[in-house]
Amino acid sequence: MKRFVYINDDSCRYSYCDNRISNTKYSLWNFLPKNLWEQFRRFMNQYFLLIACLQLWSRITPVSPATTWGPLIIIFIVSASKEAWDDYNRYLSDKKANERKIWLVKDGIHRQIKAQEIHVGDVVWLHENDEIPCDLVLIGTSDPQGICYVETAALDGETDLKTRIIPTISANLSVEQLGKVKGVVECPNPDNDIRRFDANMRLFLPIIDNEKCPLTINNTLLQSCYLRYTEWACGVAVYTGNETKSGMSRGAAEPKLTAADAIIDKLTIAIFMFQIVVVLVLGYFGNAWKYTQGLKQWYLMYPVEGEAPWYDFSIIPLRFELLCSIMIPISIKVTLDLAKGVYAKFIDWDEQMFDWETNTPAHSANTAISEDLGHVEYILSDKTGTLTENKMILKRCCISGTLYGNDNGDALNDVRLVNAISSNDPDVIKFLLVMALCNTVVPIKSNDDTVSYKAQSQDEEALVNAAANLNMMLISKDSSTAEICFNGSKFRYELLDILEFTSDRKRMSVVVKEGQTGKILLLSKGADEALLPLACPGQQIQKYLEAVEMYSQLGLRTLCLGWHDLKESEYKEWSKNFQEASCSLDNREFKIAEVCHSLERDLHILGFTAIEDCLQDGVPETIKLLRNAGINVWMLTGDKQNTAIQIGLLCNLITSEPNSQLLSISGKTEEDILRSLERALLIMKNTSETKDLAFVLDGWALEVILKHSKESFTRLAMLSKTAICCRMTPLQKAQLVAILKSAGYLTLAIGDGGNDVRMIQEANIGVGISGREGLQAARAADYSIGKFKFLKRLILIHGRYSYNRTAFISQYSFYKSLLICFIQILFAFLSGLSGTSLFNSISLMAYNVFYTSLPVMTIIFDKDISETTVMQYPQILLHSQAGRLLNPTTFCGWFGCSLYHALVIFFITICAYSDEKSEMQELSMVALSGCIWLQAFVVTMDTNSFTYPQILLIWGNFVAFYMINLILSAIPSLQLYTIMFHLCSQPSYWISMALTVAVGMGPVVAFRYFKNLYQPSAINILQQIEQSNGSIQTSGNLESARANLLNLLTGSRKNRDSYYHPLLSDSAESARTD
Amino acid sequence: MSLPASESDSLASRRSKKPKYSKFTQQELPACKPLLTPGIVIGAFSLIGVIFVPIGLASLAASQNIVELIDRYDAECVSANDKVGFIQDTKTDKACTRKITVPKPMKGPIHIYYQLENFYQNHRRYVKSRNDKQLLYKDAASTITNCEPEATSEDGGAPIVPCGLIAWSLFNDTYSFSLNKKAVEVNKKNIAWDSDKNKKFGSDVFPSNFQKGGLIGGAKLNEKIPLSEQEDLIVWMRTAALPTFRKLYGRIESDIMASDEITVVIQNNYNTYSFGGTKALVLSTTSWIGGRNNFIGVAYVAIGGICLFLAMGFVILYVIKPRALGDPNYLSWNKENPDHPN
Repeated sequence: MKRFVYINDDSCRYSYCDNRISNTKYSLWNFLPKNLWEQFRRFMNQYFLLIACLQLWSRITPVSPATTWGPLIIIFIVSASKEAWDDYNRYLSDKKANERKIWLVKDGIHRQIKAQEIHVGDVVWLHENDEIPCDLVLIGTSDPQGICYVETAALDGETDLKTRIIPTISANLSVEQLGKVKGVVECPNPDNDIRRFDANMRLFLPIIDNEKCPLTINNTLLQSCYLRYTEWACGVAVYTGNETKSGMSRGAAEPKLTAADAIIDKLTIAIFMFQIVVVLVLGYFGNAWKYTQGLKQWYLMYPVEGEAPWYDFSIIPLRFELLCSIMIPISIKVTLDLAKGVYAKFIDWDEQMFDWETNTPAHSANTAISEDLGHVEYILSDKTGTLTENKMILKRCCISGTLYGNDNGDALNDVRLVNAISSNDPDVIKFLLVMALCNTVVPIKSNDDTVSYKAQSQDEEALVNAAANLNMMLISKDSSTAEICFNGSKFRYELLDILEFTSDRKRMSVVVKEGQTGKILLLSKGADEALLPLACPGQQIQKYLEAVEMYSQLGLRTLCLGWHDLKESEYKEWSKNFQEASCSLDNREFKIAEVCHSLERDLHILGFTAIEDCLQDGVPETIKLLRNAGINVWMLTGDKQNTAIQIGLLCNLITSEPNSQLLSISGKTEEDILRSLERALLIMKNTSETKDLAFVLDGWALEVILKHSKESFTRLAMLSKTAICCRMTPLQKAQLVAILKSAGYLTLAIGDGGNDVRMIQEANIGVGISGREGLQAARAADYSIGKFKFLKRLILIHGRYSYNRTAFISQYSFYKSLLICFIQILFAFLSGLSGTSLFNSISLMAYNVFYTSLPVMTIIFDKDISETTVMQYPQILLHSQAGRLLNPTTFCGWFGCSLYHALVIFFITICAYSDEKSEMQELSMVALSGCIWLQAFVVTMDTNSFTYPQILLIWGNFVAFYMINLILSAIPSLQLYTIMFHLCSQPSYWISMALTVAVGMGPVVAFRYFKNLYQPSAINILQQIEQSNGSIQTSGNLESARANLLNLLTGSRKNRDSYYHPLLSDSAESARTD
Repeated sequence: MSLPASESDSLASRRSKKPKYSKFTQQELPACKPLLTPGIVIGAFSLIGVIFVPIGLASLAASQNIVELIDRYDAECVSANDKVGFIQDTKTDKACTRKITVPKPMKGPIHIYYQLENFYQNHRRYVKSRNDKQLLYKDAASTITNCEPEATSEDGGAPIVPCGLIAWSLFNDTYSFSLNKKAVEVNKKNIAWDSDKNKKFGSDVFPSNFQKGGLIGGAKLNEKIPLSEQEDLIVWMRTAALPTFRKLYGRIESDIMASDEITVVIQNNYNTYSFGGTKALVLSTTSWIGGRNNFIGVAYVAIGGICLFLAMGFVILYVIKPRALGDPNYLSWNKENPDHPN
């Protein structure tokens, strides 16, 4: 499908939308239904709505409907207002953008309109530093060469300036003509590809020119970019409003669910099942009681047989359903959301993750998944810019077989090279020329006549800078010419064509015409394997290969440079093909690559550059720590295998031979590759765990493997702790993440560049480094940090604590709900299984949303062991990786505890308050007080460190319970009237409470004490060490002890599958044991 | 962070995005971290034992000092085989005389309770069958929500005051006491809570249409007396949470000597026979702990004892198998034990 845009023509303008941007999700009238619909898509909300509706039927409801409606409405209002607030802010920012004043040219007249009034086909006139209001095709600029600069940071996060050129067809239009120009732009329908615009244009006026002029992304000004260093520019609106490229690439990301969330969901469903069973059993016995006993109880006045309605049998089960509905805590989602919000804030606030150099604090864009950080199993890391600084410097080079920079490690100061330049060695000169010209660098002259370079690629910047240092300085450049200053004299070059770099081609070339001689040259640079096959036969390649090998060994990035003479006629013919290919609307990229390939051949290889990219600060330590924590770290890079391996060695990813073995999966043919995969798999399976095994593979091998033998590769991936994958395309990186994810592992992808975005989005957790390659990765990521080294803090401290806290909060929420529900069930046996609620409506409502939800929040301040201890014993992370704190087994513990506590409270209450004291309201308050007392002690028991907010909340809540109930007891119209006064004045009440606590907590304390002392878990031991040493010091005596501890920790890992037996067969753990 | 101080200062002044430091945001609030060390645990258990045993003994003593006489009379007071028929027959004389010998001296006031067993005042059908508004406000006589099936009179549909099953089934056995042939006065005043009399039952609300239907539930009410003074009703309407319960009938203010014989003439009207419930008359003195209830005393002594026992056990265990907390050397022991889960 194509779109035809008639420039300055009103006839078709209304067939497309106007330029009103709308990022809002709701409108005023659809907010309520749409938001409700969104909220009711969740199982829990549906469940609660059903319960709330059932409660409206007064025959079956044990308590007032307000007990469910109240919290339900509050929860709905809270999430709806959050949505509404976000949406309102989006509306405001949209409005601001829509009402911005924009200059428009129509029939030669300039006038100002609101941005939202722009229509397709209008000619928009922009001034310097203006934000571009919609997608435009550039037709004129103030620059005589027809170029302008745009900053695309808002679109792709890249901070450098990009050059945009007016299409040749409109190059000669005067300012007046621009105002009246007519024509047609033929472009594809709106899409979200910001790197591609395959269109063409014809102009009608003033000269009818029927030649179609191709348009590329370089001829466009895209919405939300800024015009820079250009006095004015004008363009034709082609896409407007939400149909622009930036508008199309917006879109709500799917919310990510954490592993903890998944378990909570499963537990919820399990409890739901349990509830159904309880309801059916109680309902059955309830009906049985009614017919055997109830009918005889004359004071109940059951209607005579036959008069009862047909649905009579269902009344009692439904009552129990309502009575048991509190089993699923209505507050859990709100509590967890709140806690997760705090975790995210703690990450944002963390001073120790603040990067001084770039002035960037850590940020968590996704507030919902912090606890997943605590059990990451695989980290897939980009290399360049993530592990390394991405600060490129040319360190060595090899020109026509001579290696420069080998002695001092710095080619720029190599005397031989300086001498070669001053003696005008032709190969060296050409080498420098390629370095200076074959790129997309923009030189920017500052006021004091120094030139600085803006480049999209750090490699290119390094090369141009190096060339400048070697006296070959690029001083100016526009769309058609470049000026070089060599040894003080200036040379002009006509830039005829640029054969752009793509990740498939892995090379780029420029065609230039020497200003003086008129010779046409093709200058190429690219990866060695992309360029060497194109070398003209008869060249000595062997020497270069050795050089490349050596450079890679040193961890340097290499680029091959080459050139080739072109005959005028040859070029002309090729140029025509190239033009045609560039004009094609479909499959353009492929066609261009074909044409380029036809020109890039018989190259004279000039030599190699070797660029150093230093490791980031703290990377080896971080990787070591993470690997000690049981996390498998993989490196995915676009770089060469040798470079990648060297970096891997430097940053502790792999160790040298005796301790580890590197399995290479490679081969010349597909069979070779598959065979080496099988061999690697065999070795992996049969090697003891002490030896570190890693595999290396490259992009091509991965492609072959994914096509033929995905299962074996998945098995290999599950076995190997380390892997180095080189020559990866962005898609392949994402594919690797997907493979690990599908095997049930929790993956974290970290990267810094646009090529990592896909893998970051694919992974369970995406971490972006706000690095030199722009902010693209950081924007797409769930977390952004300034440096790789902060990852250890993010995972070990924030992830671990968050997981611990969520594990407690969720299980505790179930515990307290089950507790009160069990008491209700026990009471049912004493009330003729009729479904009477022991507790009154106010107590039930307040219990869930108030009395018990405040103390549990204190756990967000809790730390089981200190940060230093965690960093010293990173192995402790295995505890959360194995899901030890939140799994069906631990949940059974809580379930049992709530059952036990319910029994304790219930029996103490009915025994202490029997006979003349067994008044309904009093008994109910005694039982409720018992719950409050026990839950305060349970929270205290499970808190590891008490800070003052915790103490305040736990015991303040306790005091609040009494205050509230005493106040309620003073209101005559309530059932509770005077009840608490009665109770508080009875010694037997307080004695019963003390008894409840002693019986309820005694066994728990004793059990824990035994466990701590005689079967301590690693956490217990670390806590004890912390306590006994004050702070941990590694004295000589402790050293052996520490070794023992590490043994235990690693030992526990081996057993981790047998550590607990999942109850739910489909739990994550059991799924991966196979 | 490794920058020299001066440089970092200049950076900070250049609109640094560094998060503000506070102990709260950095999660560095001072914390105390108690551990379950042998000292603390043994101490806590001993302390609980030391505190609980005396309290338990005191409660037990208080409970034991209370004299409580229970006389179950439902079976003996009906001689007929068809007990239900007997009780439902309005014409028969249901008087029944019981003799109770007092084993220990009882100090007044002596509480008189009736005790019902297997009577479900907490049944959902029953417990809800009342209307608190109607009980309190004169104008709300026709507010009979929840009162079904005892809401309106059978003939005219006039509202019953007090409506509902609870009021309808009001207990109607009466007791008259005599001690050594001399009648003993039973004080039936102030047996209900003051709060109920003042705030829950209206002093200007009078019973109407009550017990006028074909089916008579329990006691009738004097239509001349306002609800706030119908104390038997108020006591009855404080529903019991358990199927076995006692309700205050009245008090004997005088003391009773040991081996005195109390004669009670019971008007055995209330039907517990059709559902197999029991009825008993209870005479009891009180103390600070309330009525006679050994549970708390026994439980306290037992728990206190167990705690002391556990504390001792912990000490012995600790002596036999001493373990230094936080000494990772013990981990090797863990490792050697193959069936140890960790």
